[in-house]
Amino acid sequence: MKKFISKPYRWAAIYSILLTVAFSFTMLDTFVLPKSIANATTVSIASKSASTASSSSTSTSFSTKSSSQSQAIVTDSSYEDENIKITIETVRKYDSNIYVADIQVYDPSYLKTAFANNTYGRNITATTSDMAEDNSAIFAINGDYYGFRDGGYVVRNGVEYRDAARSGDNDALVIDKDGNLSVVKEGEVSLNLLSDKGVWQVLSFGPGLVVDGEIAVTSFSEVGKSMSSNPRTAIGQISELHYIVIVSDGRTSESSGLSLLQLAEEFKERGCTVAYNLDGGGSSTMYFNGKVINKPTSGKSIGERKVSDIVYIGY
Amino acid sequence: MSILDINKRNNEKQLRKTIWAYLILSVVAVVVDKVYGIFGHGVHSAAMTWMFLYPLLGGALFYFIIQRLIKHITKFAGYRVFLNIHNSGIATLTLASLIKGIFEIAGTNSPYLVYFYMTGGVFIAVGLIIMLIMALNQNRVHV
Repeated sequence: MKKFISKPYRWAAIYSILLTVAFSFTMLDTFVLPKSIANATTVSIASKSASTASSSSTSTSFSTKSSSQSQAIVTDSSYEDENIKITIETVRKYDSNIYVADIQVYDPSYLKTAFANNTYGRNITATTSDMAEDNSAIFAINGDYYGFRDGGYVVRNGVEYRDAARSGDNDALVIDKDGNLSVVKEGEVSLNLLSDKGVWQVLSFGPGLVVDGEIAVTSFSEVGKSMSSNPRTAIGQISELHYIVIVSDGRTSESSGLSLLQLAEEFKERGCTVAYNLDGGGSSTMYFNGKVINKPTSGKSIGERKVSDIVYIGY
Repeated sequence: MSILDINKRNNEKQLRKTIWAYLILSVVAVVVDKVYGIFGHGVHSAAMTWMFLYPLLGGALFYFIIQRLIKHITKFAGYRVFLNIHNSGIATLTLASLIKGIFEIAGTNSPYLVYFYMTGGVFIAVGLIIMLIMALNQNRVHV
């Protein structure tokens, strides 16, 4: 063996091949290979008790177009029926195109989330518009892209999927059974405690933009170590069952994108007492009434990126 | 055959070549970071920015010190084994740093990354042990 590895270049060649294989496998495993962990389980808010996802406990609900939806008044930028009212405004500010959705719902059950292919797992993805259509969503945005990471709480429609907190100082968005948004520190609050309080959805991206009515980010705040303006997706709450969703285009000559501080200021100006930053960049997508409203881009061509999950309004 | 057998070949030239190769690799690591940064939308990773330190300090500087202080180890048959193992360690750690950087910029992670660091660390440790054995047996070179 010693003689074998003593030969010049022989060991180097073999080890280079091994490293290349290990590198390729790690990249494929992280970015490409889909790993299904559990099928999405649907629980109604009324019947919700402590429930945890398992690959064997699956029940599927089929969305049907309700009578309210069929009688809705719909325009290119608005939707209104007896339970849901959505108005979308396009704003030109900060050298960017900003899409602001004002959403009011009669019942918290109309604010929902969905997984790509109705499956919880890693690298299981679909475009926001495909997921929205699969779930008959009236309005949808990309979620937190939980499947790109191994950490961060994941609770969807009352079911716990992941209870691993991310390391470091990270915010999670909690939506309770009454449809109220709040921002918690993942490192300080366990998922068990949140479950005891009746959590309905938990999304893990962040940071919190507006917390307790105050802007919670500074001009130095960024996702990861980026300091540039980017496409953004974020959700905030003005009052009970009244939400603001903002998506901005970015990384193009037409629209440079927003900093987190600019995004937070937009929510604060609209009266939000809480707001939270979701996955942005190439993921940022706003879907409304069968169309993608914004121009999603990763910086090269315009087009939707496939993501793990969406937040949507629908029956 | 023992690692302390005397090799008839003169490996001193090889030592100089190794130092230069590591200096070039350090520059390549800096270039990779800069090029990757162009496509990173302003997101940077310390792991990728500083990955050039592995070939620079663990490679070029390390072999420069060997050249200055314990040059006699190049005369041992085990020098090639040490060279292979140490180089593999530096390569693995540099690659680990690159992968960590890619993950940090993308905002993701992998359970396999730790194995790169572990493998690199083991190679470095074994290499150092072999180097130490050779360094402490200077008297054999003159037999």
